[in-house]
Amino acid sequence: MEALFAALEATTPAQYLRASRWGYAAVSGAHILGIALLVGTIVPLNLRLLGFWRSIPRANLLRVLVPAAASGLVLAVLTGPLLFSVRAQEYAAVGFLQAKLVLVALGLLSALAIHRAYGLTLEGASERRVRFHALVSLGCWLGAIACGRLIAFAID
Amino acid sequence: MKKLFTAALVLGFMFANGGALGHHGWSWTTGENIELTGVIKNVRLGNPHGILEVEVGGELWTIEVGQPWRNERAGLKDGDLAEGVEIKLIGEPAADKSDKRLKVERLFLGGREYILYPERE
Repeated sequence: MEALFAALEATTPAQYLRASRWGYAAVSGAHILGIALLVGTIVPLNLRLLGFWRSIPRANLLRVLVPAAASGLVLAVLTGPLLFSVRAQEYAAVGFLQAKLVLVALGLLSALAIHRAYGLTLEGASERRVRFHALVSLGCWLGAIACGRLIAFAID
Repeated sequence: MKKLFTAALVLGFMFANGGALGHHGWSWTTGENIELTGVIKNVRLGNPHGILEVEVGGELWTIEVGQPWRNERAGLKDGDLAEGVEIKLIGEPAADKSDKRLKVERLFLGGREYILYPERE
């Protein structure tokens, strides 16, 4: 595992990002944009699933917010490993990062499971199932953002 | 599921350690400069933080230098900060005394001064 992380640090993009001022800033910024898009849409989406704003048709909201959240996730997932590669061996040992990856995986699995079973607009899913997913999703993504932020503060 | 992510959070706190990762800002330091002289034992330069390990009087200190652009602006060249090189450091230590860690404002190599944070003179 150590060897794998060392090899990751030796890749060209990792070397470039380690040395570059604005390249690193750009990737870091894109990661934050992805997170903003993901969490900024996932929170209202899940609150609607939990019963907020009942006057707004759920399917309409899902048609907008699910693809927006997915785009944010894609951007964050593409840029995250680049940031990781810069200091792979050290980051791999940070508990908050490990916890964040677990939460991201759970959040993603929960979303994939429910949308695979009930489609984009969750038609036909029971209220119980939808609420359960909404709680898991909120917990995972808010937990992931908290753990992610704490990586920068996780020194000793 | 909820138990799982509670467990993940707890794990996160349990294993929270940054090893050689650095800090943004100065909030964790004492606010007072000290001077250390020692020999560089290990070098990890680059974003997001540059880290040296320097042996000072038999103790190993973790020394936070700049990102590449800051070191370059100070006049440091690739290879200047290398293992075995003697270095004098002026900067602020961690407020937590058990943490032998210094964030550098200025450093000296072979008598030449390199100023990483000119605005903090």
